[in-house]
Amino acid sequence: MAYLVRNDIVQYACTCGQLRPISFLYFCRHCLKLRCGFCVCHEVESHYCSNCLEILPSAEARLKKNRCQACFDCPNCLNTLAVRGTTVSVRDPDDPGKVNSQKKYYHACFFCRWTTRDVGLPDQAVQTVSANGWAQKNTSNVQRITVLLEHAKLLGMLERHEREQREKKFTARFRRNFTHLPGLTAAHVRKRAGLPPELPAPSTIKVNLAEFQPAVAKETVPELPTDIFTKELDIGTVTTLTQRFAQPETQPDSIEGLLPSYKHLSTKQSQRCRECEHNVSKPELNPASIKFKIQQAAYFYVPEVRIVTLEPLIGGKPSEVVIVFINPSQHPTTLSFITLQEAEEEIKQHQTEGTTDTAVQQGEAPLSLSSLTKPVTVVEEPRPIDISMTGEVQLPAADVEIVLPPKDDAAEYDDSGEIQQFHDDPKIVIHRRANKASLRFTVVPKTDIAGENCVIGFAFRYTYVNRISTPAIATSEQKPQKVQLCTRIFMNCGKILEGTQ
Amino acid sequence: MIKTYYESGMGLSTERQAVVFDFGDCYTKVGFAGEAGPRSIVPSEVRCPKDGRTRKVFDAVKADEQYNLLVEFIHNLYFRHLLVSPKDRRVVVVESVLCPTSIREMLAKVFFMHFEISSLLFVPSHVVALSTLGVNTALVVDMGATETIVIPVYEGVAVLHAWQAQPLAAKAVERQISDMLQEREKSNQSEGYANLTEKMIEDIKVRACFVTTLGRTQKAREDKPCPCPPSVNYLVGPGSNMLNISGDIRENAFNILFEQDADQISVSTMMLDAITKCPIDMRKPLAENILLIGGTSMAVGMKARIKEELSYLAASAQYSEKLKLRTFKFHSPPAKENYTAWLGGAIYGATDIVSTRSLSKEAYLKDKKVPDWVSLIYNTLNEGVKRSI
Repeated sequence: MAYLVRNDIVQYACTCGQLRPISFLYFCRHCLKLRCGFCVCHEVESHYCSNCLEILPSAEARLKKNRCQACFDCPNCLNTLAVRGTTVSVRDPDDPGKVNSQKKYYHACFFCRWTTRDVGLPDQAVQTVSANGWAQKNTSNVQRITVLLEHAKLLGMLERHEREQREKKFTARFRRNFTHLPGLTAAHVRKRAGLPPELPAPSTIKVNLAEFQPAVAKETVPELPTDIFTKELDIGTVTTLTQRFAQPETQPDSIEGLLPSYKHLSTKQSQRCRECEHNVSKPELNPASIKFKIQQAAYFYVPEVRIVTLEPLIGGKPSEVVIVFINPSQHPTTLSFITLQEAEEEIKQHQTEGTTDTAVQQGEAPLSLSSLTKPVTVVEEPRPIDISMTGEVQLPAADVEIVLPPKDDAAEYDDSGEIQQFHDDPKIVIHRRANKASLRFTVVPKTDIAGENCVIGFAFRYTYVNRISTPAIATSEQKPQKVQLCTRIFMNCGKILEGTQ
Repeated sequence: MIKTYYESGMGLSTERQAVVFDFGDCYTKVGFAGEAGPRSIVPSEVRCPKDGRTRKVFDAVKADEQYNLLVEFIHNLYFRHLLVSPKDRRVVVVESVLCPTSIREMLAKVFFMHFEISSLLFVPSHVVALSTLGVNTALVVDMGATETIVIPVYEGVAVLHAWQAQPLAAKAVERQISDMLQEREKSNQSEGYANLTEKMIEDIKVRACFVTTLGRTQKAREDKPCPCPPSVNYLVGPGSNMLNISGDIRENAFNILFEQDADQISVSTMMLDAITKCPIDMRKPLAENILLIGGTSMAVGMKARIKEELSYLAASAQYSEKLKLRTFKFHSPPAKENYTAWLGGAIYGATDIVSTRSLSKEAYLKDKKVPDWVSLIYNTLNEGVKRSI
């Protein structure tokens, strides 16, 4: 489990140039490339409340401003509030001598002991309190802002109208040409062509504009309270910035103004490869489920590398490192080792091939038609890897091939010790078991940097069986394709010791 | 892939709301266009993915470091606060006119290249703040975290040559508090002082300090100080160390903004200077339409003090000859001061402007530059000539 806890030991270079442990990487089965959280496209899959685990459809979540309607956060410490019930005695309205007991509910925070009673909110008769009971204050601003919004929209329309008048001479009439098609109104066409909707007549705009009343500045300003110079201040009654910003629209400065806020929703996210737009990870919708519909983690496809044993690393002296390679896939794979320089050249070659492809793809569609054509794929340029090497590693010759058998879940329990026949060089392969092979490498740390970590880097090629039949392949051959892929590895072998000379 | 009319399940009539960002040095305001308030106000800080330390987003030195921090920060904003996919959504960024070009370019690169947004619109904070009032003319004073920036806006146009900016803002007050505490520590040691962090100083500023009146400050200057307000005990950290914050600190920390320095500059003189630099017929409307925005202007007593200062200074020898103004009027926008600029952006973002004036993805990908009126490439006569023919 070293890759989960100490994730800085063995790092893989992602296609985008980031260094990540294998547990943080995806493998796109369509592009056959490594992807990391940085170079995939994240998307919000579903909204849910982390307290009551209810899923909200995205349209509803939008209407509710991404807040759960049943759960509340403590305005004091921002943890979730719990419902508490009490019995209150109420005098019977019909019979004054009789006392009825009634169940009442209020909210309390189990962390900071804040309750809704602290701010004078009445207890509720039902357990599922809708915040209607606690009418939101400060609605007057909303009305004014709606007026301002309308005003700004009208101004925008007027400006656009003027510009359209000015440009009218030059615009061809093709915009209206689609309207003869069934179901296509002028509004649809405008929308599709990325144009804003049709304008109302300028006269109506002007009439509406005239109704607007701008704000009036006043000479009076909120004064400093006079008792501030004499009254003792209990700092506990003044809210902190965090508490104020939890309620951005009211921002109360005294704790008496704190109101419980609806709990903010959480999201489940899916990840999509940015080149081929296929999902590399897609969770199940149900928030209680931790399973995935699609999960192309690199851990299931790319051979995993771990350090087994290390000899003490002494500057300038070769020491032996045993590294185990594990094949996680259902097919045998063949490993061979190359240096980083060779791998980089290989990648560059791929890139130049790739860019000629995308250049055609981007092939300048007119801007106005952009929404009709395939959207341009934007891919960030891969960056140079930001790590400095402090040791040399001597790799087996490039023609040495190591075959790793497929992963067999049953083999884990099979102690028969069945010896597989591989024609390995015993100088390189020192141990084999099931889908794992331990290899011996020699590392020579640099001199004069005792005390620093010894970082080595190398690359390996591995064969991958591509079982996805793209239409092009499906016509020619049905068999799964065998591809040779390459990945770069960076290892932190630990501290370099002082040479004894 | 041809997009359908019913994209994202919302039908044709509702376009997806644009996202409005107001990146501040200390706090970032974020929400949707057309809404009355931001969804979140969050510290502009992010956990650095490399070393795990919390870092200020705009503090990075190297360009790619800055890029990584911004990506991480904006990713968090989208997926923890806004809960929408950034891809193919419009973005409005409220920026200060004095924002460095490198940051604009960096933001555009992050938004277009990493988040694949469909269009980006930069709006100047001082001008859009006026749309929260519906007026076209005002003296806009933005008292932020590091700087106070005064820009007069006349008939919707920023009077740029009259701009004033000084580092007289939240950071200056916080520095003053820590200086005063340090000074006192020499004579009167307290156990709480050693554990004070920057966040706590900010907290002291917000919760304990206030802006005193001009009259009291003047008396103190004449060595006839009024009795100090009561001191406050402040709990520092979990070790229950009490730090006593004297009434002097509470009252006088904010005075740093109003003490005229060697160049005789304070927040109030900046405002008067900005008015003085405007043509004479602009001055009265500006003085009678003052809009204070930015978190620092929310301090208790700040507006009252600024008003007092302006009236006092306008009548003083320093200005009475140059300015014949005696009345100063203040606007109160329908929003808290710290998100007024954001609200202005949100109002702009809900109009047609966002579709007609934005920088589109295609245009950005063409030459990977943000058009800027300062740059001659975008500001030559050619285009104007073409249009007028």
